[in-house]
Amino acid sequence: MILERFNAAAKRGVYSLQEFFVLSGKALGFIFVKPFYTADLFQQMDTIGVGSLGIVLLTGFFTGMVLALQSSVQLQAFGATDYIGSLISASMIRELGPVLAGLMVAGRVGSGIAAQLGSMRVTEQIDALNTLGTDPIKKLVTPRVLAALIMLPVLTVINDFVGILGGNVIAKFYLGKPSALYWRTVFEQMLTGGFTLRYIPNDFIQGLTKPFVFGGIISLVACHFGLKTTGGTEGVGVATTRTVVTASILILVVDYFLTQILLAVFQP
Amino acid sequence: MTEEDDRRRVTERRSPNEKDATAMPRRARDSGRVRAAIRTELEEVAEQNETKQPAAARNPQNVVVAIDHVSLAFDEPILEDISFDAKEGETVVVVGESGTGKSTILKLVLRLLVPDQGRVCIDGEDITHLSFDEALKVRQKMGMVFQGAALFDSMTVYENVAYPLREHTTLGEDEIEARVREKLQFVDLDPDKVMDQLPSELSGGMKKRVGIARGLANNPEIMLYDEPTSGLDPLTTATITYLIIKLQRELGVTSLVVSHDIRSAFRMASKIALLAEKHIAFFGTPEEMTGSEDPYIREFLGGF
Ligand SMILES: Nc1ncnc2c1ncn2[C@@H]1O[C@H](COP(=O)(O)OP(=O)(O)OP(=O)(O)O)[C@@H](O)[C@H]1O
Ligand SMILES: [Mg+2]
Repeated sequence: MILERFNAAAKRGVYSLQEFFVLSGKALGFIFVKPFYTADLFQQMDTIGVGSLGIVLLTGFFTGMVLALQSSVQLQAFGATDYIGSLISASMIRELGPVLAGLMVAGRVGSGIAAQLGSMRVTEQIDALNTLGTDPIKKLVTPRVLAALIMLPVLTVINDFVGILGGNVIAKFYLGKPSALYWRTVFEQMLTGGFTLRYIPNDFIQGLTKPFVFGGIISLVACHFGLKTTGGTEGVGVATTRTVVTASILILVVDYFLTQILLAVFQP
Repeated sequence: MTEEDDRRRVTERRSPNEKDATAMPRRARDSGRVRAAIRTELEEVAEQNETKQPAAARNPQNVVVAIDHVSLAFDEPILEDISFDAKEGETVVVVGESGTGKSTILKLVLRLLVPDQGRVCIDGEDITHLSFDEALKVRQKMGMVFQGAALFDSMTVYENVAYPLREHTTLGEDEIEARVREKLQFVDLDPDKVMDQLPSELSGGMKKRVGIARGLANNPEIMLYDEPTSGLDPLTTATITYLIIKLQRELGVTSLVVSHDIRSAFRMASKIALLAEKHIAFFGTPEEMTGSEDPYIREFLGGF
């Protein structure tokens, strides 16, 4: 009995995973296939990018400040407070910027996409699209995925910048370090990670590959759960919750493995 | 369905309606005038039908939609060995209790679902094994009115009705606007009033009518309606029933209607299919249905 139920659950899980990969394949493939729903793409870039700007600015700035505050205690013990800029720069660009932006966008945009597609599913608007001769994946999923792939790196760069700026505020007013020194250590840090193709700092490669991947994860997970919503309005709530939980976990897990791969490939 | 019956049905409608007018509170009495107008229109339609054939040439022998020994199960069996068909120009109404799989039948016809067994044919073409893209093409022959209208809520009424035109035709903006106006007028909506509204600003009956207009935009040869009259007041129900009859009469559109409103089903049906316990319990003309001795059918017709 228990075994049977476990078996059924495992089957559903595998089936759902297969659906997810089919959806991902189609959605990414359609990026290069006509017709292009350009208006939808720009609208999504606006919702995902511009819409998330506020929370990204806020979280980035405060994370940078608290990071500087915490590490200043540590650095003071070694008398190394001059290097606070290096520390903030490295941690924001490589890790915190991408992961924080990812988690914030998963919460804000992922839930929004899941809720929207979910209610379109339960009010038969998805069926209506199909009936009117439109492929819902092409019309709804592809623009969202593409917009997320483009906008998440952009948001991350902004997040990195305000984070480092937050560190600057603490360095200047709490530690009394001049801004010039702070920014010099920030830039020096960017260059110590080595270069790819001679000019591209490896830190940037790490810091931009991650949000690109996270953007794909968030949008695809949200579209997947949104489109397979069942059970009326209650189902929409379930889809939203699942999206945020799954996307957040995936971001943290994938971040680890991605870091390992990137560190191995782009050695200083 | 003979003209005799049509007229009988139209006149039959009078008595219950007039009773309603006295029994029901103000709103219904206020709308008495409108109702009278609809009634005369219905009679007109019946008369027109006597004198002239529908505009579209049609061959009543052509089977347009055929459902052939279809079975389908989700978690448990929903439909088992279902067969019926709709010939050109006919209106087939599928009736049955809630949750018996009526909407599922329409989804099979649209090939949003694929049957486990059996086949569904549109214009003689088996659509069961079509690819996704081929299915999109076949669907262009059909217009669908969804149970909850399913209007795209991020688009205005105008964009909703124009959607199939933008998707499938190369019409210019002027022609699209002309077509949208024509279809909105056809469903008795004032284009200038509703065109720029969002679906969330419309009443249930207006949404249904916009849904019909959108389904009609591409001039489909087959119309599918899912519960076109459910949850509407008697007046709007009459209007929409009248619209479906008008479409069949004027344009010769083949229609498949799903409904549990047995009264309006009788008014518009050429044939009725009764779905019960996963099977088609009855398929035939309304007259045959009223004449049936089958206890389940008698019970289903109940008060009618
Ligand atoms: N995608 C699906 N997955 C699983 N079960 C489904 C699905 N769609 C429908 N069903 C089930 O199939 C049955 C028939 O559903 P359907 O919507 O066709 O009923 P209906 O006759 O249209 O009912 P109503 O008159 O209430 O609209 C229901 O029991 C429903 O739970
Ligand atoms: Mg239904």
